[in-house]
Amino acid sequence: MAQRLQKKDNPDIFLEAPPAPKRGVRFFIAIALLFIILLWAFQGAKIRPGELLEGIPQIGHTLGRMLPPDFSKLTDAKNYFFPEQVSWTELLLPVPLAQAQARSKQRWWNNIFPQTVIGATLETVQMALAGTFMALLVAFPLGFLAARNTTPHPFVYRIVRTLLNLLRTIPDLALGLLFVAAVGLGAFAGTLALAIHTATVLGKLLSESVENIDEGVVEAIRATGAGYTQILSFAVLPQILPDLISFTLYRLETNIRAASVLGLIGAGGIGYLMNTSFRTFQYQEAAAIVLVLIALVMLVDYLSSRLRTLVV
Amino acid sequence: MRTVNSTQQYRLAEIRKVFARDQVALDRIVLTVCRGERVALIGPSGAGKTTLFRLLNCTLRPTSGKLWIDDEDVESLNGKDLRRTRSRIGSVYQQHNLVPRLRVIHNVLAGQLGRWATLQSLLSLFKPADVEIARQALQQVGMPEKLLERTDELSGGQQQRVAIARVLVQNPDVILADEPVSSVDPSLASTIVRLLIEISQNRHKTLIVSLHSVDLALAYFPRVIGIKEGRVSFDLETSKITEGMLEDLYSGNFRDHSMTEAISERVQSVAYPSVG
Ligand SMILES: Nc1ncnc2c1ncn2[C@@H]1O[C@H](COP(=O)(O)OP(=O)(O)OP(=O)(O)O)[C@@H](O)[C@H]1O
Ligand SMILES: [Mg+2]
Repeated sequence: MAQRLQKKDNPDIFLEAPPAPKRGVRFFIAIALLFIILLWAFQGAKIRPGELLEGIPQIGHTLGRMLPPDFSKLTDAKNYFFPEQVSWTELLLPVPLAQAQARSKQRWWNNIFPQTVIGATLETVQMALAGTFMALLVAFPLGFLAARNTTPHPFVYRIVRTLLNLLRTIPDLALGLLFVAAVGLGAFAGTLALAIHTATVLGKLLSESVENIDEGVVEAIRATGAGYTQILSFAVLPQILPDLISFTLYRLETNIRAASVLGLIGAGGIGYLMNTSFRTFQYQEAAAIVLVLIALVMLVDYLSSRLRTLVV
Repeated sequence: MRTVNSTQQYRLAEIRKVFARDQVALDRIVLTVCRGERVALIGPSGAGKTTLFRLLNCTLRPTSGKLWIDDEDVESLNGKDLRRTRSRIGSVYQQHNLVPRLRVIHNVLAGQLGRWATLQSLLSLFKPADVEIARQALQQVGMPEKLLERTDELSGGQQQRVAIARVLVQNPDVILADEPVSSVDPSLASTIVRLLIEISQNRHKTLIVSLHSVDLALAYFPRVIGIKEGRVSFDLETSKITEGMLEDLYSGNFRDHSMTEAISERVQSVAYPSVG
């Protein structure tokens, strides 16, 4: 009986299935258009599979020349050119020194240390930390100004939003070039580029987070007679705090990567050393630097995800 | 300025509120509420009760009509004066509207915001000022031990009592409660309504409460106002309200009826949870 019922039921299921969409002429035109556009793109991108195939042994060859990675630049003390009059503890720790010693310490910190692998790595981290922090200082107020529900005036909202959207379209490498021209080669230019780019991204993210808060809470706090700043700090900030922290940590991770690329245009960080090694065909040395960079990025990702679960 | 000898807490004349897309929420509301009065507001869903409360606590402005609080025309209020008037009105909401991630003490002390300077309130988020005041308020709503707990870890009924503690700290002239008990179980509901009544009696405060439960309204309030489709349907002493008026108030409201059924079904499934 059950089986008979099932047999009888089966066709019904198919009857109730929605009819297959009709593929009209428009569909084929759309597909053809897409195909033509892709063809155009591939041509412009100079995709030549033949050369790639020929190049594969070359890639293998280059990778082979990178092996084994040469860590000597990283580990050999002589690469760090320790100045003679200053012991390495004096060099690393903030202790009072005689004038001559202090000068050579300063010179080492400014000129030699950033050109060593450890120095450049630390500089990359410092750039990311400082840039992200500066960005946060700027983005924090901008986020409230650019959110519909907390902006003091619709006009302010419009202006800040437009500004953020415009600035965000500038790639950080372009900003880096701009600041290298303005303040000279080095970490400062790169940090400014990171700070500005990150501020626009964080500002946008924060304003969206503010626009998603529970308005009922804001109304209840407003109803107690609270003023603007009190409403922001009691009703809005506690609601966006988890987002604020995780966005900032996420941008910090991104900025570590960005800071290491900025070195390519001379804006500080480990990218400069990596570029130099590749340009001078020191592939084994370059491999060591890439490995250090990978380790750094993984470490920062790990730390920030731990931090996130702790705080949020 | 505030005239202390005035007996009228609220006076509403021809109040109208129209939202976007010509949504008329309130229409020609005429009302007077005296100082120290206790009034219940009833009416079907969508009648305009919440909108009326938002006008009464000055977080929403009427489209037209006049609203006086303590003989003061609300329309003329701005900036500091508006905030001062708001601080004299305490609100309890159906959804609690507490700050979920803050500890209970901060939510309770938010009642002080009208009195605190900006800097003082910022500092209080790090090191709570007036801890004793908060503790006493929580004591009065019967949960002194929850002072340092995170607010979103409390049950619905507990959160509603935190909201009442906030009103206690605020110590306003008027207490407005918009469906304060529709998300708690019936026995706790009457406890909370009694708590509100007790506070208003002991401290001589005007109390206006909207309720989904007609029984609670009739049992605890000397005056009941029925609101339907944005208008006052009746406004009477409790003893003069008839079955017919109540039927009229809730009639033609099929949606509300089906909702009541759905809710009672849910209550039953909560009361007899399936084991296993
Ligand atoms: N912000 C708003 N924008 C547009 N329409 C609104 C808004 N707030 C309320 N309304 C409309 O005004 C009418 C009255 O709503 P209100 O929330 O005051 O009813 P209520 O009596 O509190 O209902 P309930 O018992 O369900 O809480 C409804 O038709 C509602 O859709
Ligand atoms: Mg309502």
